[in-house]
Amino acid sequence: MSTAITLDINGRTVAGEAEPRTHLADFLREELLLTGTHLGCEQGVCGACTVFVDGRPVRACLTLAHACDGQSVRTVEGFDDDALMARLRDAFKTHHGLQCGFCTPGMLATAYDIVRRLPQADTARIRRELSGNLCRCTGYHGIVAAIEAVLAEGPPPAALVPTAHRSRMPREAPADVPAPERTAAVADGPASVLKPFAAYPAADALTGEATLARSITIDAPCEAVWAMVENPKTIAAAIPGAHLDALGEDGTLRGHLEVALGPMRARFAGVGAMRLDPAGRQGELRGEGQDRLSRTGLAAALAFTLAPREDGGTQLSFTATYALNGPLAQFGRPALVAAAADRILEEAIASIARRARGEEAAPAPRRLGGFALLVGIVRDAFARALRGRRP
Amino acid sequence: MKPAPFAYRPATSLADAQRALAADADAKLSAGNQSLGPMLNLRLARPGALIDIAGLAELRAVTDSGGAVRIGAGFTHAEIEDGEAPDPTLGWLRAAAGAIAHRAVRNRGTLGGSLAHADPAADWVIVMAGLGANLVLAGTNGERVVPADAFVTGPFETVLRADEMIVAVEIAKPSPGARWGYWKYTRQVGEFAKASATVLDDPAAGRQRCALGALGGAPVVLADGAGLIEGRVDPDGAVRAALAGRVADPQLHVVALRRALAAAKQAEAAQ
Repeated sequence: MSTAITLDINGRTVAGEAEPRTHLADFLREELLLTGTHLGCEQGVCGACTVFVDGRPVRACLTLAHACDGQSVRTVEGFDDDALMARLRDAFKTHHGLQCGFCTPGMLATAYDIVRRLPQADTARIRRELSGNLCRCTGYHGIVAAIEAVLAEGPPPAALVPTAHRSRMPREAPADVPAPERTAAVADGPASVLKPFAAYPAADALTGEATLARSITIDAPCEAVWAMVENPKTIAAAIPGAHLDALGEDGTLRGHLEVALGPMRARFAGVGAMRLDPAGRQGELRGEGQDRLSRTGLAAALAFTLAPREDGGTQLSFTATYALNGPLAQFGRPALVAAAADRILEEAIASIARRARGEEAAPAPRRLGGFALLVGIVRDAFARALRGRRP
Repeated sequence: MKPAPFAYRPATSLADAQRALAADADAKLSAGNQSLGPMLNLRLARPGALIDIAGLAELRAVTDSGGAVRIGAGFTHAEIEDGEAPDPTLGWLRAAAGAIAHRAVRNRGTLGGSLAHADPAADWVIVMAGLGANLVLAGTNGERVVPADAFVTGPFETVLRADEMIVAVEIAKPSPGARWGYWKYTRQVGEFAKASATVLDDPAAGRQRCALGALGGAPVVLADGAGLIEGRVDPDGAVRAALAGRVADPQLHVVALRRALAAAKQAEAAQ
């Protein structure tokens, strides 16, 4: 539901309406038609949307319009009478600091901030300060040269300066802005076709892959653990949040899993296949899945071995190779995946051990603190499928 | 690209924010929105409500108790970088703040928000652990103080309870002669670190700490900080022992620690 906000935009008081989720860049572009603010990545990386709020450059894509209520916004359209910005524009033109122009509004905002804040900046410092603004055309040289030229010739004083921090205490009690009715959870897409093992990419065929290898002790006899591995249903039951939806012949399977990691939630639905070597107590699992809401794809291949230990336990060793694509890949740094994997593994291994020893398994946690990616890994690791339940 | 719909609740006071947080299990606190924002925009996070605590006066309080300073969690990285927020360490916080992401992000992102978000590679997560700082958490049952090195429990996960928030960071003033080194490895300026390390050398206060960050989960304080700082312990062996089974190839962390040790050695002693 849209509610009213009032901002000072380029020196003009503007009253408008915005949904809570509308970020400042969309508000400027869609409501006020100030399309000089460009949107590139919308995740704070490219810097194209950089504008000034209360005199400080900020990412308009990571700043909610409602969070700017009562504040002062300056966009690239608002510098017509600004001598420093005029100098920068001329310098960008003279030094070929732009080509297609897409990054230019953000570049000018950052350049303005560099000139007024760091009058002594050398080339290296300028380049470092510009690192948050991406340009695909110029190779940056012209942009850096333009800023250096303005600094060298003694720029006019900046008319726009940061205002003192003001506490955003509303003048009157603010109204809560309620969220619109949310639509029901997005259903999984059409179920992927179960494919035979050989139809999935092997580890070395996964592009952009990362690897996770672990060797873990399970406090249960090897035969009992292997018996569980042979039955995907029991393994799936041991993994918190995992669920097997379908089990085909020849080790093909379908499943899904929902995981939570900090504020992130994902629900991967996928298919896979396994190939077991009972004599060697080893197996391979390959699969692929998708979190439909975030449009994140995952493909993984896993090889594991079980070996009896002298103490009567079992040593599980595995290597998982996975490739992520889509939004979640932004946050799926291998170190994070590994840490999240270890947490899920800890729970799953404990559960497997209890079940292999014939003890009653503890109920699975209601919410799994893990990573969506992980899901895939673990799914492919032990189970053959998954399914999860959100609280 | 737009986030999934959520309700927006600008908090008018700390108590107001705590009430709102306790009343809605699906609500999320937001200060600068610089880390949560990308997750919202990509719809990886879909909270039902955002409680905006940016600018709350209580989160900008500064208390000097003599030996330590409590800094409100609501200061932005840029304010710390510019010296507008106090830096009891005589410049170490300012230098660390200036290397966080990019200036436009630093202008909105906050000290407490970054800690609570708990990206294991975030600067404040390792810096506060390395300094031996304490985090002041406030919930409906009052305040508690948690050591920064025990705050993060996993990637994006912390000891914060559902109704709690970080209100301040408590940092001990270093002794005269104390030194500090912080080094992080990033492939590009401003991106999250792939490895990081800190060295605090304050023998007069009995605090000689070496810590490793960007490990995927909690930072690690190495066992024999004094030995490492005084050259009696080999950094390579210490890092490999501490990260065994956690990091496949700790070479970057070895380098980070060596460089942080060198930086501390070369640093001017605090006066």
